[in-house]
Amino acid sequence: MPPRLTPATTLVLFALSRGIRHGFDILDATGLESGTVYPILRRLEEAGCVRSRWEDQRRAQSEGRPPRRNYELTGAGAEALRAAVRIHPDTVAQFAPNHLLVPRTR
Amino acid sequence: MTIPPPPFREPPGSVLVRMLSRLVPRDSREEWVAEWRGELVAAAKQAVLRDEPATLTTVRLWRRCLGATTDALWLRHHHGEPIVLGTDLRQAARSLRHRPGYVAVVVLTLALGIGATTAVFSVVNGVLLRPLPLPHVERLVALEGQPTDGDLEKVNQWTSYPDYADLRDRTHSFEQLAARRRWQVTLTARDAEPARLNVTYTTANFVTATGLLPLLGRNFRVADAEPGAPAVALLSEQLWRGRFLGDRGVVGQQIQLDGVPTEIIGVLPGALQTIENGDLIQPIAAGPMESARGAHRLTVLGRLRDGVTIVQAESELRLVASQLEKQYPENNAKRSAKLLPMQAQLVGSAETSILVLFGAIVLLLLIACTNLAALFLTRAASREREMAVREALGASRAQLARQWGAESFLLTAAGGVFGVVVAWLGMRALLGAAPASLPRASEIGLDLPVLLFLGAVSVAVGLLFGVLPAVQRRRDGAFAALRSGGRSNTEGRRKRGMRSTLVVAEVALATVLAIGSALLVKNLYRMQHAPLSIRPDAVYTTQIQLPNTRYAQAGPDGGRRTLDFYRRLREEVAAIPGIHSVALAYQHPLAEGWTTSYHIAGGEHVAAGLEPEARVRPVSPGYFDAVGLRLLEGRDVTDRDRIDMPGVMVVNQAFARRHFPGRSAVGQAIEHGSPWWPGQPTHFEIVGVVADEPFLGIGRPADPATYFPHSQYPFNEMWLVVTSERSSASLYPDIRSRIWRIDPLLPVDPVVSLRGLMGDAVAEPTFNAVLLSLFAATALLLAAIGIYGVLSYTVSQRTAEIGLRMALGADRDLVRRQIVGQGLMLVGGGAVAGLAGAWALARVLESLLLGVSGRDPLSFLGVAVVLLAVAVLAAWLPAHRASRIEPVVALRAE
Repeated sequence: MPPRLTPATTLVLFALSRGIRHGFDILDATGLESGTVYPILRRLEEAGCVRSRWEDQRRAQSEGRPPRRNYELTGAGAEALRAAVRIHPDTVAQFAPNHLLVPRTR
Repeated sequence: MTIPPPPFREPPGSVLVRMLSRLVPRDSREEWVAEWRGELVAAAKQAVLRDEPATLTTVRLWRRCLGATTDALWLRHHHGEPIVLGTDLRQAARSLRHRPGYVAVVVLTLALGIGATTAVFSVVNGVLLRPLPLPHVERLVALEGQPTDGDLEKVNQWTSYPDYADLRDRTHSFEQLAARRRWQVTLTARDAEPARLNVTYTTANFVTATGLLPLLGRNFRVADAEPGAPAVALLSEQLWRGRFLGDRGVVGQQIQLDGVPTEIIGVLPGALQTIENGDLIQPIAAGPMESARGAHRLTVLGRLRDGVTIVQAESELRLVASQLEKQYPENNAKRSAKLLPMQAQLVGSAETSILVLFGAIVLLLLIACTNLAALFLTRAASREREMAVREALGASRAQLARQWGAESFLLTAAGGVFGVVVAWLGMRALLGAAPASLPRASEIGLDLPVLLFLGAVSVAVGLLFGVLPAVQRRRDGAFAALRSGGRSNTEGRRKRGMRSTLVVAEVALATVLAIGSALLVKNLYRMQHAPLSIRPDAVYTTQIQLPNTRYAQAGPDGGRRTLDFYRRLREEVAAIPGIHSVALAYQHPLAEGWTTSYHIAGGEHVAAGLEPEARVRPVSPGYFDAVGLRLLEGRDVTDRDRIDMPGVMVVNQAFARRHFPGRSAVGQAIEHGSPWWPGQPTHFEIVGVVADEPFLGIGRPADPATYFPHSQYPFNEMWLVVTSERSSASLYPDIRSRIWRIDPLLPVDPVVSLRGLMGDAVAEPTFNAVLLSLFAATALLLAAIGIYGVLSYTVSQRTAEIGLRMALGADRDLVRRQIVGQGLMLVGGGAVAGLAGAWALARVLESLLLGVSGRDPLSFLGVAVVLLAVAVLAAWLPAHRASRIEPVVALRAE
């Protein structure tokens, strides 16, 4: 069943398409609440628009933290994004990838 | 060799995530926790790298974790597990059904707590807290005259036009400084009854100063206020929508105001009503009063320049005022000025009573929450054994907590629903009973955010104390509870101590409220039973105002037409069947009117500006008789005291006491500076002394007052006073037709009874007293419920012990006395604390009381007695139950 394409869903899809992979990074980039974003991710994953994988254990350990869950867009997800942007052309303007200004740990 | 990673601390919020994980279906629970934890740790580390303050990170992460609730619930729902467990709710409902008393008490507590508080807070918010709907209202200030020596009788709050102009020109703190004066005019039209309208005469910049723009048409221009300019008026939105039916073509039309053709130039927005409650405004036209520095009759409002504080503006104002004081000592002696925020000035006198109410609702909410906590704790304690059995049979603590939660949820939800109903009804009742003096009453509505907030507080308290007992049970609690067989042990005593403390606190709070209400009720009783100098029954009055345009006050003919009108009026009205007597008075016995200054003839010389002041109350012959005011000495004024005869007057007792203590005032005289009407005497001899009218309020001592014959003091504005056995409604058409026989262009106000006016005069104290009494009664009821709860718990815990003692020969009476004694101990502790609190708070209430001390011993004693009675009543049922314990049954239950 295709997911409901709400403005929030559009934003989440758009963030994923920009290579933002982790839940909290999506929160930062979209300004949405965690109570909104996580259920969307679950729904998108179930609809096959999003795929999730666990981060490499060794890499996480080298940074002194537990592994994080990565989300990425599937082909169906990219389709959904195109449809969503057609419905909500203005929502994407809200997208504020301010987390990119934050120094990332390598 | 790899360096082991530095250990990471648990990030903020992970506790919550672990707690919430219980909601997530078992097979995905571990992964869910790992995902949230991974994000939290990463975010915390990034925050450290960014040098973000730790508190900020904590708040941010906790907030995100709250969102995990939705995530967890979504997963739960998605796996086909019910979010709110239907079985739990059903079970809770079933278990509550067997305890209708408990349910009723909890729901009542919540409904009263939420409802009463919201209703009163909505009123407080509407009147006191909500900002006026004007742009940058924080910069709007009211200017009031202030005496430098504190003598408010000599320096009133109003400002004269020349003073206003000087203040405006010599200060720099204000963007605008505007002045206004209220008056009444008659609007006449061909096809409708004449109407009396409240007009406000303002300086041209008044509307600009408020920050508003006319809804239609234009604002005043400076030219509109110049002498000889054509008359113009701005209508209030209310008048425009009412009388002119919202016709947009009204701008440019001519209307007749007191017979003067006046052009409507625009309509003002409704928001202006919050500070200027008139029907229309007109520019202040320069008249003789506008050049008199002694004519203090304008109220001044200002808009501060951006960045100027009220303190800075006030000090500048004081400086200018002291210059004026030196420059014009005869008018401005000891006159300074102060500034008040507009809102504070408007709310003014209502502030104290509203703050008292506000204090009362806070106390009531505290009591309700305390009670709720005590009720839930008691309930938990009484079910300890049942819970222990279920735990022993394999129920997990989470399951038990969920069931408690479901029960609390059902109760608080029901309480919330009833709370809304109580809030709505309470609100309607409050506004229905509110005295007319309550400012901004039309803006008051039920406050939804407050309702939600209070609902949330109550639900939080409910859930907290509802679930707490289940969560907090010790691990060995089940076995201990089973072993002890429900007998009291150390643990039980500690919990009982907590409940007792809650009840003592509740009683203390209720005591404070009860004393407050006792004082207000006593005050009200005093007012209603104050010895009354007038006889208000079968006396009716209506106000009559002759327009100055047709009834000239100045000029060679000044006052003549006025006197003709009132002479004919008395004849016409006296001819109405059923009217016993007719009189005229300036103001009625309950209205204070205004004052003027005078000299005692032959008295010592008093410097200009420092002369004594007395109320001016012109009357016709027969007024004292009509209202039942006793003539103590001398004679009434008569029709022979014409304007061309020697001046005479009657004074009240307060006047006689002020100037002629211990001797007769009759035969003494006063001097007025110059005549106000052509031919008016300036020397008035006192021919009589009457009792004091309660014109400053029932129960309040009166000021000195002077009663001139109306024929020597021909005011245009007078009150017609008649005595009749008929009703005011049946008198009105008769009186109106008689007035119109003399002058068909006069508006006629409703005829009101003096009894009714007296009711209005005590409306505000009645309102306060009723409200606080309702609160106190609610608080006492809640406290009684609290006492009952603790005692019945004690009895249920001690059944076995009491049974044993009775088996050993203890007397039933003794058992009963012991339980009641315990109740009295609880109340005693609370009452002592509450009485001390009320003693300390006495000062707050004192400003609302007339002749009743805030520490009135009778009220304190009365409340103490009521509390004792409440304690005995609340304790009686549990005590009775304890005394009926059958030793055999109690011991067999072991």
